[in-house]
Amino acid sequence: MSKYEYIPEPALVKGNHDFASLTKLVTDVNLRPTPKPWYAAMLLANAFLGVFLIAVGYLIWEGTGVWGLMNPVGWGWAIINFVWWVGIGHAGTLISAILFLFRQDWRTAINRFAEAMTIFAVICALMFPGIHVGRIWVIYWVFPIPNQMGMWPNFNSPLLWDVFAVSTYFTVSLLFWYVGLIPDLATLRDKATDKIRKFSYGLFALGWTGSNRAWWNYEKAYMILAGLATPLVLSVHTIVSFDFAVSMIPGWHTTIFPPYFVAGAIFSGFAMVLTLMIVARKIYGMEDIMTNDHMEKMNIIIMVTGSMVGFAYMMEFFIAWYSGVEYEKAIFILRATGPYAWAYWIMMTCNVLSPQFFWFKKLRTSVGFTFFISIVVNIGMWFERFVITVTSLANDYLPSSWDYYSPTIWDVLTYVGTFGIFFTLFLAFLRFLPMVAIAEIKAVLPQADPHNYDEETQEFHPHVVEVPQPKAETV
Amino acid sequence: MSHKPTITDNLTFPADSKLPQILFGVGAVGIILSVIGYFVNHDQFFFSYLVSFTFFTGIALASVFMVMFHHITKSKWGTLVRRIPETFGANIWIWAIFIIPVILGMHNLYHWSHEEAVATDKILKAKSAFLNPTFFIIRQVIYFALWGFVGRKLYKASVELEKTGDWGVTTLMRKVSAPAIPLFALSIAFAGFDWLMSLDPHWFSTMFGVYFFAISFQSFWAVMILMVFFLHQKGLLTNTIGQPHIYDLGAWLFAFTIFYAYIAFSQFLLIYYANLPEETLWFYDRLEGGFQYIAYGLLIFRFAFPFLVLLNRERKHQKKVLMLVATVVLVIHYLEIYWIVMPAMHSEDAHGLDFSWIDITTFLGLGGIFFGLFFNTFKKNSMIPENDPKLEECLEKTYHQ
Repeated sequence: MSKYEYIPEPALVKGNHDFASLTKLVTDVNLRPTPKPWYAAMLLANAFLGVFLIAVGYLIWEGTGVWGLMNPVGWGWAIINFVWWVGIGHAGTLISAILFLFRQDWRTAINRFAEAMTIFAVICALMFPGIHVGRIWVIYWVFPIPNQMGMWPNFNSPLLWDVFAVSTYFTVSLLFWYVGLIPDLATLRDKATDKIRKFSYGLFALGWTGSNRAWWNYEKAYMILAGLATPLVLSVHTIVSFDFAVSMIPGWHTTIFPPYFVAGAIFSGFAMVLTLMIVARKIYGMEDIMTNDHMEKMNIIIMVTGSMVGFAYMMEFFIAWYSGVEYEKAIFILRATGPYAWAYWIMMTCNVLSPQFFWFKKLRTSVGFTFFISIVVNIGMWFERFVITVTSLANDYLPSSWDYYSPTIWDVLTYVGTFGIFFTLFLAFLRFLPMVAIAEIKAVLPQADPHNYDEETQEFHPHVVEVPQPKAETV
Repeated sequence: MSHKPTITDNLTFPADSKLPQILFGVGAVGIILSVIGYFVNHDQFFFSYLVSFTFFTGIALASVFMVMFHHITKSKWGTLVRRIPETFGANIWIWAIFIIPVILGMHNLYHWSHEEAVATDKILKAKSAFLNPTFFIIRQVIYFALWGFVGRKLYKASVELEKTGDWGVTTLMRKVSAPAIPLFALSIAFAGFDWLMSLDPHWFSTMFGVYFFAISFQSFWAVMILMVFFLHQKGLLTNTIGQPHIYDLGAWLFAFTIFYAYIAFSQFLLIYYANLPEETLWFYDRLEGGFQYIAYGLLIFRFAFPFLVLLNRERKHQKKVLMLVATVVLVIHYLEIYWIVMPAMHSEDAHGLDFSWIDITTFLGLGGIFFGLFFNTFKKNSMIPENDPKLEECLEKTYHQ
């Protein structure tokens, strides 16, 4: 007997499913009549959306003075929320593009879902740079558009690079999501019985027939988009980190920022996917597809990226001391002990400590605990951006100009309102589009593997792994 | 099922091969010549030695890292070639003796090790809690104890799995790897600080640990590629390690080429952009006196060339292309470490880029021993981890256009 137990790979789809039952499970959500609780949820989301519109309306009417910005803290909740939402918007494309390139088949259960979340999160993020300028009617000046004044945005500024990076990311993510949807839209078109559904799903299915030729082209396109999306996943948050790191502000100017921001973004994105997944799979009965094994794998990713963020915090702290630069040293001590120490310790607890619980198998396979940690992580990541943005500005080089920053009610309402945008879009997605990539999940069923068919009789025999009996030790 | 892949190759490295002896011979000659070099020019010897030592140690560390990741992700792509990095890792505990010259040469290498220099330097005084000879030696002992232990343990576990066919050992492998990964991340970062960053003791960069990891990892894939083709050249595993497995190695080299460029460029850009004198000085010293040619070479041969060549899918498995790219990457990897280390030596006399014959003898000396140890261990067991649960799937891999 072995000293250790061999743990075989778990099946990706639980339950006794075949192709037809999976299709039915997923498409029924879109084809059956709208359930009443959905209307209730949508109404609530719309209420928050209304809050957002009021907050933004007042902002445009009155000007950015309604926010808590002051001297010396010229960047406040707007940039924090922007970075937070963009960070969340990293998981989807990571799951669908990078995990695709790494041939991680488990991604098929959550990729559609996570990509939708990505796109909506990026929309929420884009609201903030969109509304933060005092004269919103000239927001198009952020783009380098030739004009009679000969006036251009500052190409040396990472804020402009951000405009390019985030808008490219959004475009490619949207395309990637749409390309992946095409075969499933065709499935919905074929299943739909009423004219409106048939027409609208059919319109966006682009005449998909499921022929060999269509699949061949589709897979090429998907591969190319995955290849294009992969560097974008990394570049977006890298550029966001440049917004801070190219400056000379202590606590902002540090070379580890790019990979550290990317790790943090993946960390928060996976947490958000988990928050949504745990609720959605329960409501829609998708536990056979989005299994606890998926949850465990995602928890491990959260643990790894959380530890990478912890590694970066340590490096920053160590080098601040090692550098011997007075201002660097001072800002890190001020963060931990100064006026914003409460925010700093929330960040440390939520980001570095909380994911370490996932070292225990019991905890990372517990649904309730995972749900709790997934929310804790996103609170922590919000505070990380708060700590970075506010502490470094509030306590700058001149102690005589130090001041304490507080948000106003309009900062809070704008932020809370973005959840209205997010959930309005997300609920619409759950209702009208297949939340699981049907065609892709079928490909990871054992029935899809030609090795599992007897060549002569054409009978299906699921692959059984036989664990060999260990030989006596001969080393 | 009738699809079970069969292995037709002989799976052990020829036991009568004289390769380890030849390599040890080369190593011995190189070391003897280097010792002569020591008496000719103390400083040159220690700096040349540090370049070669970092070069080979980095490859061994990346090997163990790769093995740990392979276990923890339950990967199957690299099961066939896993014995190669495992064997590099198995010998780190012996390789540890080669840190001794670095410790002996501390006064020649590291400005911060001179008490009288620290006494008059406010900045160095402030860091002396970290940068002092005693703690430096303690850290080296900790690093090599950790690396040697984990490398050996994972090799032993893999051999045990091969001999007994006990799949439960895979659980042990994961139990060792999981906690060792964060420890490796920290120790590699701090080794980068100790060996390379503290050569310019005033300079600092939070990215430097990741940067050391990135350069070592990119060159590790180049070593893997050359190693597989070397085995093929000897007629070994020619029917076992095939196109799909070589393609994966090519893809990894491509991926880590981009990762390297990302890390190195981010570090450069952020320092360049903020333009703070205490940070830019490091790059300033490396962009003059002939060192600028290496810096431009990094851009071209470490990123642009491998990136453009390997972008095409078909080229990621072509033997000639991969061998060329891998060789170029290893040469430029050596030059990059040279470029990091050597300006520190010439900081006072400032006569710039000046290659020495001791660079070559230390490289041959350490390289001979490094690969001698490798082949000496490699021929003791099978060249692939037989009986591994993932081996069958790995053998079954096919290459799709």
